[in-house]
Amino acid sequence: MRKSPDLPYILLFLSPALILVGVFVYMAVLWNIYISFTDWRGLLPSYRFVGLLQYKQLFHDPVFWTSLKNNVLLLLLFVPGSILMGLLLAIMLDRRIRFESGFRTIYALPFALSFVVTATLWAWMYDPSSGVLNTIFGKLHLEFLKSRWITDPNIAMYCIIIALIWQFSGYTMIIYLAGIRSIPVDHYEAAVIDGASTWQLYRYVVIPQLIKPTLSAFVVLMVFSLKAFDFIWVLTRGGPGTSTFILAVQMYKETFAKTNFAYGAAIATILLLMALAVVLPYLYWSYRGEEE
Amino acid sequence: MKVKPLRILMYAVLIFLAFGYLLPIWSAVTTSTKTGEQVALTTPIQLVLPPYFGAYKIAFESLKRPIINSLVFTTLATIFSTVLGSLAGFTLAKLLRGSVSKKLLILITFGVFLPYQSILIPLVRLISRLGLYNTIPGLVLTHTAYGIPITTLLFTNYYYEIPDELVEAAKVDGASAAGIYTKIILPLSMPAFVVTAIYQFTSIWNDYLFGVVLTRGEEAMPATVMLANLKGSFVANWNVQMAGALMVALPTLIIMIALGKYLIRGYTSGAVKG
Repeated sequence: MRKSPDLPYILLFLSPALILVGVFVYMAVLWNIYISFTDWRGLLPSYRFVGLLQYKQLFHDPVFWTSLKNNVLLLLLFVPGSILMGLLLAIMLDRRIRFESGFRTIYALPFALSFVVTATLWAWMYDPSSGVLNTIFGKLHLEFLKSRWITDPNIAMYCIIIALIWQFSGYTMIIYLAGIRSIPVDHYEAAVIDGASTWQLYRYVVIPQLIKPTLSAFVVLMVFSLKAFDFIWVLTRGGPGTSTFILAVQMYKETFAKTNFAYGAAIATILLLMALAVVLPYLYWSYRGEEE
Repeated sequence: MKVKPLRILMYAVLIFLAFGYLLPIWSAVTTSTKTGEQVALTTPIQLVLPPYFGAYKIAFESLKRPIINSLVFTTLATIFSTVLGSLAGFTLAKLLRGSVSKKLLILITFGVFLPYQSILIPLVRLISRLGLYNTIPGLVLTHTAYGIPITTLLFTNYYYEIPDELVEAAKVDGASAAGIYTKIILPLSMPAFVVTAIYQFTSIWNDYLFGVVLTRGEEAMPATVMLANLKGSFVANWNVQMAGALMVALPTLIIMIALGKYLIRGYTSGAVKG
């Protein structure tokens, strides 16, 4: 770097950010990886190196596989569910609707709330004895729709996914609405002059322009689905049994309830690797995109 | 004018979905203003008049101190992370050029996508070692540090849009980097400050994970953590739980309704939540 009179300012302005990120992100990540190779159990730290022992145990732990399965379920249902719901809402709101901003605020409202708040609301929605859904279905004589919801291990995870789509579709709607609105008007006009139907307009003009927002929404939602801890922890604590465990819940329980620090660190490292697999290609892609 | 059936269908879907989206919030409003007896005897979605505010009183008893804690550390961490993000963003977008700047930005931005589980154990150790466990400064430091990736990203993207010629012209006139920042960049930065600060306030206020691992007891406990505890101590008292949930939701609900367009701009500038 050439010596510039700016150098002292560059250091002054940038070092707080770099030091904090260096310590709290990079040093902490390496520290955690190191802990996962030790035998630290109990409140007193132990840094005795035991190699891959924790990982070997983890791969023989049925709870790990249950958690991983639920993480995959989130990936397969929550991520595309939120994307499609958000796209649907955005397309409808874009069709010159009355009260557009009112509708938009309503759909986006859940995303502004803390997961602790939404988990509390959904606990009441799903309460099997006197909760909102069962009472409404009872009043409407739709008894067959009544359910044990989050207390039924077979469907609890799906209940969580529905609630999370409720909370996140407002986010994807916002992303898509911004994407649709940024398409130049002449693209539409050209298609209309060529006699395109509404369906063709969306299929060939709008949707292809939404690849970039879709990709970033995918990355955001996938990373979130890995670390979605707050909502599940407050709503079900991972229960009934281990039916709604995801890796983030298992990590928290092992670490802070059972003080198996090394074991928790190993789960956290796996989570990190999964996030890297999503984020690194994305950062590479967006970095390359800007170079062009 | 001919009314198209497709349009009617669309309004029907929009209105149906609006009811569905509001149902959990509406049920919370109605339930929070009922007595325990009314909760048991009426449908959850039914509003009972006159409203009963006893549940709010009970919930507030527990939430008073945590709400004050949250207001304090959220405000401070919002200010710190926003200011540091602005300085870093200015440096990356206007003082440094080319690949050094890009690489540093990517290095910092990675923090936006970090699953916090993978730093949780070191974080608790570090904060304890610093003597900041269960303190407001501990939460301020933590939220400032993990806020910097997103604030830096938002400001850098914003400053890229400011023409380099403005900066170059000031340099020719002999202005220092500090002078350029205070005289040219800051006056143009207000929209970015509003968007970033609102975004940060909302995400820090809503956080649960850092609060639950870094606090114990009243002194520093965030409102979200207390609300989660309320769920345990008022198990069947749905009116108290809903009153508590709405009180914790209030600041972010106000922001969404009054300043929604700024919050939305934060989300669309490549922002994430978590």
